[in-house]
Amino acid sequence: MGAWWGEKGRVGLRLRLGVLGRLFICFRFRQIEQLQRCEPISEEQVKRLCLKAREILIEEGNVQVVDSPVTICGDIHGQFFDLMELFRVGGFCPETNYLFMGDFVDRGFYSVETFLLLLALKVRYPERITLIRGNHESRQITQVYGFYDECQRKYGSSNVWRWCCEVFDYLALGAIVDGRVFCVHGGLSPNLQSIDQIRAIDRKQEVPHDGPMCDLLWSDPDDIQGWGLSPRGAGFLFGADITKAFAHHNATDLIARAHQLAMEGYKHMFDQTIVTVWSAPNYCYRCGNVASILELDEHLGQEYKVFSSAPLDVRSVPAKRPPADYFL
Amino acid sequence: MDSNFPPEDIAPIAILMDELKSDDVQLRLNAIHSIPTIALALGPDRARNELIPFLQDSVDDEDEVLLALAEELGRNFEEYIGGREYAHLLLGPLEHLSAVEETLVRDKAAESITKVSAVMSQAQIEEFYIPLLKRLSHGEWFTSRTSSAALYSEVYAKVPSPIQDELRKAFAALGSDDTPMVRRAAAKWLGPLLKHFAPQHISTDGLQIYRKLHSDDQDSVRLLTIEDLIAIAQKMSPAEVHEHLLKQIRQSIGDKSWRVRYMAASHFNELAEAVGTDLVRDELVVQYVQLLKDNEAEVRTAAASQIPGFSKLIDRETILSRITPCVRDLSQDASQHVRAALANQINGLAPLLGKEATIEHLLPLFLHLLKDDFAEVRLNIISKIETVNNVIGIEYLSESLLPAIVELAEDKSWRVRQAIIEYIPLLANQLGRPFFDEQLGNLCMSWLGDTVFSIREAATVNLKKLTEVFGVEWARYTIVPRVMGMGAHPNYLFRMTTVQAITTISPSLTLEIIRADVIRPLLELSKDPIPNIRFNASKSLEVLASSFGSSSEGRQFIQEWIIPTLQQQKDDQDADVRYFANRALQKAISVTS
Repeated sequence: MGAWWGEKGRVGLRLRLGVLGRLFICFRFRQIEQLQRCEPISEEQVKRLCLKAREILIEEGNVQVVDSPVTICGDIHGQFFDLMELFRVGGFCPETNYLFMGDFVDRGFYSVETFLLLLALKVRYPERITLIRGNHESRQITQVYGFYDECQRKYGSSNVWRWCCEVFDYLALGAIVDGRVFCVHGGLSPNLQSIDQIRAIDRKQEVPHDGPMCDLLWSDPDDIQGWGLSPRGAGFLFGADITKAFAHHNATDLIARAHQLAMEGYKHMFDQTIVTVWSAPNYCYRCGNVASILELDEHLGQEYKVFSSAPLDVRSVPAKRPPADYFL
Repeated sequence: MDSNFPPEDIAPIAILMDELKSDDVQLRLNAIHSIPTIALALGPDRARNELIPFLQDSVDDEDEVLLALAEELGRNFEEYIGGREYAHLLLGPLEHLSAVEETLVRDKAAESITKVSAVMSQAQIEEFYIPLLKRLSHGEWFTSRTSSAALYSEVYAKVPSPIQDELRKAFAALGSDDTPMVRRAAAKWLGPLLKHFAPQHISTDGLQIYRKLHSDDQDSVRLLTIEDLIAIAQKMSPAEVHEHLLKQIRQSIGDKSWRVRYMAASHFNELAEAVGTDLVRDELVVQYVQLLKDNEAEVRTAAASQIPGFSKLIDRETILSRITPCVRDLSQDASQHVRAALANQINGLAPLLGKEATIEHLLPLFLHLLKDDFAEVRLNIISKIETVNNVIGIEYLSESLLPAIVELAEDKSWRVRQAIIEYIPLLANQLGRPFFDEQLGNLCMSWLGDTVFSIREAATVNLKKLTEVFGVEWARYTIVPRVMGMGAHPNYLFRMTTVQAITTISPSLTLEIIRADVIRPLLELSKDPIPNIRFNASKSLEVLASSFGSSSEGRQFIQEWIIPTLQQQKDDQDADVRYFANRALQKAISVTS
């Protein structure tokens, strides 16, 4: 398999940034601007973006090492205008460093624009933004929950979906901030006691139905002792004892994860050893929840910024057909 | 349009037919969108003789595909079939499309027929269009009759008067059709048609069709007649309106269906303008008050949105005696949407009432709405307060509103805080320096430490604008020390704000101030442990280089301070710092050489 998961991203990237790299950067600026207006880029541009993203992601570790300060975000689910609201509250990339814990796509109206914007930022500023994989970054799930259909509708073919899914396979499974805050989309796995064991997984594949890689993306913390069966049908439930043992064993202070709706935007559990961060306000445009992001400063001080969905005048709801007249 | 391939090598119709048989809707859609290309490849004769009959006969597809076809045929398609003298051939397929079940397809087909009619000659219209209109209007199924209603107004003026007589009669039949859908379409299109009627036909046929629709038992028909009412009133003298329409106006505004009242409320200003001042005074004021007090929140919201527009049409005494009491009630309305609509419009009353009355009647309401629980209400008041400012003067406004503004400056909705910040430079201009320093100075500084990025950003822009209002000396002693002080804060977000404030404000400062107070702390920040601070410092240095490179003194400053720093930064361990430092360095070198 070669050492594709080796952590030498920075060196590799520096070598590649020659004249061509600079040209590429100018091109990338235009793409980011275009995507920030929620205008999709062309199919050919998507293809090039995905190829470039793979080159960068392949150099990242299964557990990507991230430096503070960094702002940690949970599920976005294609709510593009709420992602823009997130940036208005937390600052735009590259001024603010970001770590997104997966579930960029599905359910919302703008999965394509959302994921491609994050990917364009990743390619342009690889050291300012980290993307890790969520359970929705998978071929199977996206065919059921909307991303596949959205790609079909917006591009008229499944090519964009296919290229994006190939990128999903390269996304890191977790991240660790300053060696102290472990970030993962779902939670822990009974097969994994140490972070080093995660580094040994062969991650370049579709999310499996079981096993450690699946658990990282699917598990949930729960008020139980030890391990329990997950009602989701994948991953496990894990209790306070498991969480604390993991923190002790790996010398971490906090596990930050996403994956579950938190009505207040975030939710601490188990004496603040684990926190759920949720970044999709008014989830599915109807849950009525607020969202949050977790700002870790350079001393790993935690500040949760809570925000609501974007006001009507700055967002829009696309319609396959024009919306029905108010009076029919 | 790609027509490079030799036409004899392909059989365009066959390709089109193949693609239209595909199982994939998307492919069929693409095929339809390519019919201009196919027509071009075929040439006008074959497009006329083969393509158009094919489209007319064999397209029976999903609505989405039909919609696309209706659209394509309306996009100057006659150019592909030999020009306008053949435009009538397009009516064939469009007639077929205007009879299908799906409303969207029919609407689009009707729209395209109208577009085609615009390029047809008088003879073509009489020979082809009018018969088509008759066939559709007498169609067996309601769909074609519904579509036909949209097709009268554009051609009415183009045909001789005997045909006009027929058209009026046919349209009247649509207005008394058995199917509500058809009557609805008639109600919708009566207004545009009336615009072309001669005066004598307005008060005969026009009025008759309108009255019939107005008294329809379906509220979905009645609500569409509001616009017809306005169209008729516009064509009549006030005396005629009084004689012929008064009863209908009263009935519409007092309709038992709230949807009709809603339509009346949301078109009230148009209606009032159409009927003339006497009727407004004698009749509509009473009716309007009734709508402002309606039982349904939607109706009150719509009526509230018309307040300043309607008040312009009546005298000041009437506003004070009739409208302001309602406004007072609406400011206490149980529905937040009503209050938000009121908050959006209430400022417009101030110029009409004048200073004294605004202070007496409106100011208490502003203060009340500024404390509303619903953020949108507060935001609407604040973002339009300038109008009030112009009427009552800043002294009075600041005296009474300042406490509320200071309170809102810490509002929990950041968009309200943002609206306040945007209002500050104006306030500063009016208040003058001493009063500003005392009342608002600290507030402006506290926004720099706001938890929301957009507010911190707005705060730096605000400081720049304040510098332009109060001058650089003021900035030097009030703003600069505070901004620079944050540059040594242990939290990087504060240091970042310092750097970004320097980037924003320094073009408004002088080289002397930069040299004495800004550059040293900025150079410290260019060595910050956090890369984000370092590359934003590079951006600041770039701005300094482009702002001060025009004088020899400035160029010397760039040589001495900026270029050496950037040369260090361009070897930074972080790629983004290197990128922005390089960019800044090129700028600095280009302005000094």
